[in-house]
Amino acid sequence: MATTDVQGRAAGGAGGGGQPFVWSMVLPMVRAGLFGFIGYFAAAWITAMVTHTVIVNPLPATLGYVFGLLGWLAGSGIWSGWIRRAFGGEEAPSLTGVERYFQFSSDPKATAVRYVIFNVAAFLFAGLAAMAIRIELLTPNSTSWWLSEVHYNMTFGIHGVVMLLAVAASVIVGGMGYYLLPIMLGARTVIYPRLLGLSWWLLPPAAVAVFLSPLIGGFQTGWWGYPPLAQNSGSGIVFYTLGAATLLASSVLGALNIIGTIVYMRAKGMSLGRVPMFVWGLFAAATILIVEAPATFTGTLMDLSDMILGSHFYTGPTGIPLAYDDQFWWLFHPEVYVFALPAFALWLEILPAAAQRPLFARNWAIAGLLGVSMVGAMLGVHHYFTAVSAERMPIFMTITETVSIPTGFVFLAALGTLWGGRLKLSSPVLLSLMAMMNFLIGGLTGIFNADVPADFQLHNTYWVVAHFHYTILGAVIFSWLAGLYWWFPKVTGRMVNEFWAKFHAWWFFVFFNMTFFPMFILGIEGMNRRVAVYLPYLHPLNEFVSISAFFLGAGFLIPAANLYFSWRSGKKASQNPWGSKSLEWHSPSPTPYIVFPEGSEVTVVGPNDNYADGAPEPFVWAPTTAGK
Amino acid sequence: MSARAENLVKAFGGLVVAWIVGLGISEGLAAYGVAHWPLLGSVQAHITADATIYLIWQAVAIYVLVGGTIVYCAIRFRARPGESGPPAYQRRYFGPFVIFWLVMSIAINLANTIYPGMVGLEQLWGIQLKTKHPLVVDVTAQQWKWTFSYPKQGITDVSKLVVPVGRTIDFVLRTKDVMHDFWVPAWGVKKDVIPNEIRHLYVTPTVLGSTKTNPMIRVQCSLICGNGHPMMRAPVEVLTKAAFKTWVSNNSF
Repeated sequence: MATTDVQGRAAGGAGGGGQPFVWSMVLPMVRAGLFGFIGYFAAAWITAMVTHTVIVNPLPATLGYVFGLLGWLAGSGIWSGWIRRAFGGEEAPSLTGVERYFQFSSDPKATAVRYVIFNVAAFLFAGLAAMAIRIELLTPNSTSWWLSEVHYNMTFGIHGVVMLLAVAASVIVGGMGYYLLPIMLGARTVIYPRLLGLSWWLLPPAAVAVFLSPLIGGFQTGWWGYPPLAQNSGSGIVFYTLGAATLLASSVLGALNIIGTIVYMRAKGMSLGRVPMFVWGLFAAATILIVEAPATFTGTLMDLSDMILGSHFYTGPTGIPLAYDDQFWWLFHPEVYVFALPAFALWLEILPAAAQRPLFARNWAIAGLLGVSMVGAMLGVHHYFTAVSAERMPIFMTITETVSIPTGFVFLAALGTLWGGRLKLSSPVLLSLMAMMNFLIGGLTGIFNADVPADFQLHNTYWVVAHFHYTILGAVIFSWLAGLYWWFPKVTGRMVNEFWAKFHAWWFFVFFNMTFFPMFILGIEGMNRRVAVYLPYLHPLNEFVSISAFFLGAGFLIPAANLYFSWRSGKKASQNPWGSKSLEWHSPSPTPYIVFPEGSEVTVVGPNDNYADGAPEPFVWAPTTAGK
Repeated sequence: MSARAENLVKAFGGLVVAWIVGLGISEGLAAYGVAHWPLLGSVQAHITADATIYLIWQAVAIYVLVGGTIVYCAIRFRARPGESGPPAYQRRYFGPFVIFWLVMSIAINLANTIYPGMVGLEQLWGIQLKTKHPLVVDVTAQQWKWTFSYPKQGITDVSKLVVPVGRTIDFVLRTKDVMHDFWVPAWGVKKDVIPNEIRHLYVTPTVLGSTKTNPMIRVQCSLICGNGHPMMRAPVEVLTKAAFKTWVSNNSF
């Protein structure tokens, strides 16, 4: 059966249908919030009563958080959508219409859309925190009318945790990955759709707790949570450790789905060699989470235990604070590859379609993605070369530098694909190329921190701040926007406004570099990280950075408006506006509730990046035979 | 030679020209930056700055060669108006390019590990091993101040760090509460101060001066340690050996 026949049938009967949006559909979210609120205050208050203390103390706050989280989940629709049946109750209702976006649902597409909305909201608030930081740094002295040193420390801590774990960790993996993973593999859903649904519902309470940590005293440690400072600088650290642990748990649920889906749910003929690059990127990222999250997860909870249960893992005269560093960076260095690998893979997914060329050196690119995830598991120690004994320096320096070899394969494949191509510079392609340029700076400046002698001077200075903003903001967030624009037609059925998309791409690229490049110089000139107050000789450059940062921050209103108005009234998209040969473009825009029509199954018969004239179709459709 | 292949050879010629121009401009800018490097006030600072500066030359070159190729391709191989359909060039693999890339990336990595990595470390460790009689300075960090003691000189608990020029100092680092980090930016090295542990940092100051004459010469905590972290500084003065002797005799008891 030819692809086009199947597409004709897909349009009818497979869509979500259901009712149009009415406000009562939002009710489950309100209920979840209410239950969470009640759970928090009931548990915190009862604990405080029993232990004769106040509810802002660490122990009541911990139990409050746990019961608040349970209350939130209970209200979200997990009871009727999942658990009730396990106790012999009614079958879960199938939600196929708009209502699935507002309550617990097992549809990965609805989950992914909720991820995007959550990421945008978290990015907005954490971005405002960044603006607050830059206002403080406009002047070298403590700014009495703005943030005190105490509030400044809370602000960058919140900015860091939320940007890393609630934005970077899930922007590409969550918003795009969970949507595309089954579709790209030719499956109708992921392997554990309810776990994937649950993964989203863990995010909002965790992010809200981190944001509200100043209400119970905040935390002063930044996003590291290093003991023993963690235990003696405010109860807010409870919300930090629990929030970080919850966000990690959510990532792990997603990672289980990614790996399980790739192993068990691939369509017929979708051999590993034909698995799309973007899915390979997700796989590499998920491997890291599965292997490395447990040790760090445990470390976070041991840090909490030292705070509330009186244990002395890292504190007191017998504690070993460096053990926490080891556990913390065990995952949280590779975590940056969890952000970056899907971004790399996204470039390699977009570029062949844009240049109308097959992906160059595909096997090397896959080896690169997997190589980064493997080598990346072994080098967290480079985050504290200034703390470890001399014997540990050479090995971790060597391994850290080695990670640039597999990373280079990604650039090798990208350059080879661009060479001799016919590149359509649409906004997603432009943003991807800019992300590559930024990542190049972020990656090359990382070598300085891998090199122990250079790191002795540059460690914990603004050099490091510039370096990781180049990789995360400059590469991952740019790629996120590229992905949002590229797959926007698949989700909404409309195109984004190309002019405004390109306009803000250039706006970002200019102001991003103006904001962060001077930070390298600040680092060399002796400005250390995490300071509300600095010496006057650093003032002119900081002023320049702050003003550039305000332009950069304000510029984010452009894509926000562009996405909203394009969603409401953008140009209707055709099924395959970019001329890509990947499988997700073989179903209508927007993707119907059931992606592939009932009664037929896709078989992969060739590579999905063969753009030569007259190349055979990579996919054919056959009537379903399984189970009959 | 077919027309298509000829075009790609021409394109490569253009790329080489772009590389040369780009390298000239970028390395020139880097040279300007290196010429305006901040104060290097110790033997160790020269070792760590040598590493940084070497890596800057290298990073700028790689940035131009790789990033320049991205920009060049985006312009040279863009879809021009009226062009539609896939390009004729559809190769998936070009062995010489892949092998060259592989060899180069491994070679650069090996080279970097040896120099500036291991060479720099050996130099730093060498100073530590060769120094028979360092000036011992006990450094105590606490939220949020530094105190210095000179056990052999009988000076205890001063809040200003005074050291002689040209003599290797063994800073013995302890903390009373949380983690801190002992850093004098002009001396080019730093060391974390960890609870329940004692750390050593060896520095050989080579430039006379004080915090007043150059703010790079200051003790600065460089690991987040709470509310007072940014203000956790201490003044430093590097004196001649004779002046240091006078200071010691005036301050010991």
